[in-house]
Amino acid sequence: MKMKMVWLLAATMITAPVMAADPIKIGVSGPFTGGSASMGVSMRDGVKLAASEINAAGGVLGRPIELVERDDEAKNELGVQIAQELINKENVVATVGYINTGVALASQRFYQEAEIPVFNNVATGSVVTKQFAGPDYKANYIFRNAANDTIQSAMIAEEAVKRQGFKKPAILADATNYGQLGKTDLTNALQKFNIAPVATEKFNIGDTDMTAQLLRAKEAGADVILTYAIGPELAQIANGMAKLGWKVPMIGSWTLSMATFIDTAGPNGDGAMMPQTFIQQPTTPKRKAFIEAYQKAYNVDRMPSPVSAAQGYDSIYLLAAAITQAKSTEGRAIREALENLNTKVEGVVTTYDHPFTATDHEAVSDNIPVFGLVKGGRVGPAHPEDIVGDQALRIKPKA
Amino acid sequence: MQILMQLIVSGISVGMIYGVIAFGYQLTFATSKTLNFGQGEALMLGALVGLTTVNFLIGNALGNFWAYVLMLPVVLAFGALQGSVVEWLGVRPAIRAKSEAGWIMSTIALGIIFKNLAENIWGRDALKFPSPLPEASLSFGGIRIQPMEIVVVIGAIVLMVAVELFNRYSIYGKAVVATSNDRDAAGLMGINTNRIITFSYALSSMSAAFAGVLVAPVTLTGASMGAVLGLKAFAVAIIGGLSSGLGVVIGGLILGITETLTGYYISTGYKDVPGLLLLLIVLSLKPSGLFGKAAIKKV
Repeated sequence: MKMKMVWLLAATMITAPVMAADPIKIGVSGPFTGGSASMGVSMRDGVKLAASEINAAGGVLGRPIELVERDDEAKNELGVQIAQELINKENVVATVGYINTGVALASQRFYQEAEIPVFNNVATGSVVTKQFAGPDYKANYIFRNAANDTIQSAMIAEEAVKRQGFKKPAILADATNYGQLGKTDLTNALQKFNIAPVATEKFNIGDTDMTAQLLRAKEAGADVILTYAIGPELAQIANGMAKLGWKVPMIGSWTLSMATFIDTAGPNGDGAMMPQTFIQQPTTPKRKAFIEAYQKAYNVDRMPSPVSAAQGYDSIYLLAAAITQAKSTEGRAIREALENLNTKVEGVVTTYDHPFTATDHEAVSDNIPVFGLVKGGRVGPAHPEDIVGDQALRIKPKA
Repeated sequence: MQILMQLIVSGISVGMIYGVIAFGYQLTFATSKTLNFGQGEALMLGALVGLTTVNFLIGNALGNFWAYVLMLPVVLAFGALQGSVVEWLGVRPAIRAKSEAGWIMSTIALGIIFKNLAENIWGRDALKFPSPLPEASLSFGGIRIQPMEIVVVIGAIVLMVAVELFNRYSIYGKAVVATSNDRDAAGLMGINTNRIITFSYALSSMSAAFAGVLVAPVTLTGASMGAVLGLKAFAVAIIGGLSSGLGVVIGGLILGITETLTGYYISTGYKDVPGLLLLLIVLSLKPSGLFGKAAIKKV
């Protein structure tokens, strides 16, 4: 019996090198169904586009990328299950994804323990990249290429208070981790301008009637509504305001660009503003090529969530560059390569030049996002002067 | 004061929807002592079928209003058909096997199946239902109501009055009342009780489908719209009493108004609490519901 095992082992070891051209498995975890689905599906479509482009050009280290997609339905417990499945059963070398902050926070620790990098390409909760930051942890395996909530809330506060001169903001946030953490970020950001919100209201996912929340904001004398929620509920806020005949401007987190908000709110959604890392406009040659490739591959004109698609696309290119530099698919090597990326990666959102360091795992800095404006069913730039000429491509300043 | 009136008006339109769905629960309970736990999904299917029909009719150059009116008989027929299917697949075998709670599981299971079907056919996103009436709110002394919300209240009342009249003045209605009172005696008198039960399920789903197209223009239409409504309507049915048609209406209004008032005066985070608290209180003090009659067991 023992001899048989030795022969078996020898046989496996001889045949192992023959499997060198096997694919590199990258996990894709996001909500492809439910209220966050348009973001998850767009992210996945951007990821798939990037992977197919890379594979057509020969793959990474001569091996094709194989995406393992799993739907977490925006539920924390499913995210945890999927993380364990991807790590232990599918043996992915890295995972991209996470739209919902709560799911990311619940699931990431499995990757951190297994020393497998996680690339958050949409989730914006500020603590996501800080969950395993030093000095408590020797190495941090969580990376992000989305504009986190610290940046977004600062932008929202500045736009509302400084640029547009509102003095009595009301905050409407949903009851998820995303909404509540975002509300805290917003309150802190407003405090820097010595302004306190006149009303802070909460609602659940699935709520359709926002009368009570809006009435309280109206009674408090609010002159602008700052939101931290996702599509369908945001549309009900806009519709609720029209129903009450009380319309004040809506400025909120990037989710106001979701197709579900724009379509369900209809004309009531016009005028909403939100920070965007990517607006669906061909302002640079790379963006033009990306938009056209996306439209052709998925047969759409308007991208359901341009930011998710662009960031998903960029996350694969960043990961591919890191794997190529590390010349290995080992988690530790990929992490070190990401933290010391030598090659410039030309992405859709920005051009990445040493985006990460050992202590900084955020690829998007506060000068990159610009404000978008909903008008006539599409998102355009709110302040066109922000992206004219050289300003179109905004790059993170070198550390 | 104006805020209070605005909240009460909002609460009434929400409450009437709960009442109409709860009315459906009461219809089947009266004749067969069973409930369709997929009532919320019946509402959702009605709303989605209505949406497809309306979009189809609007695509053929019909105005929003007429598309809506022409869609109503289609949705009512669909609701009746769906109710009959639920009864035939889930409830009849359970009653025949004299199972105590088999119909609970089967109606829940059918509800889940319908929800998944809807997600696959119509997708999982929230959809916008074209409103037959202009969406701009009317103002009555500072209180703002959307025209569609008034239609919701009127439609709900019309439905319940129609069923009540049917029960009282048509021969088939009298058969339904007879079956509710005593199923065995009605069977002995020559009434086909099985058909009556199928009919009551059909009527119950029809009223849920009608509620669906009433409420769809003022809220979000989607595969998950039925779950929360079905659950709250069940609480209303218990609060109002499962044997009283008027009770569910009052119960619905109580729940709707309490919800909006709590949302405003206490905290929006606690909006769902009062309804469930009310349910607990009613169950502990008057289990047959505020207007229900306590069951008298004959020996």
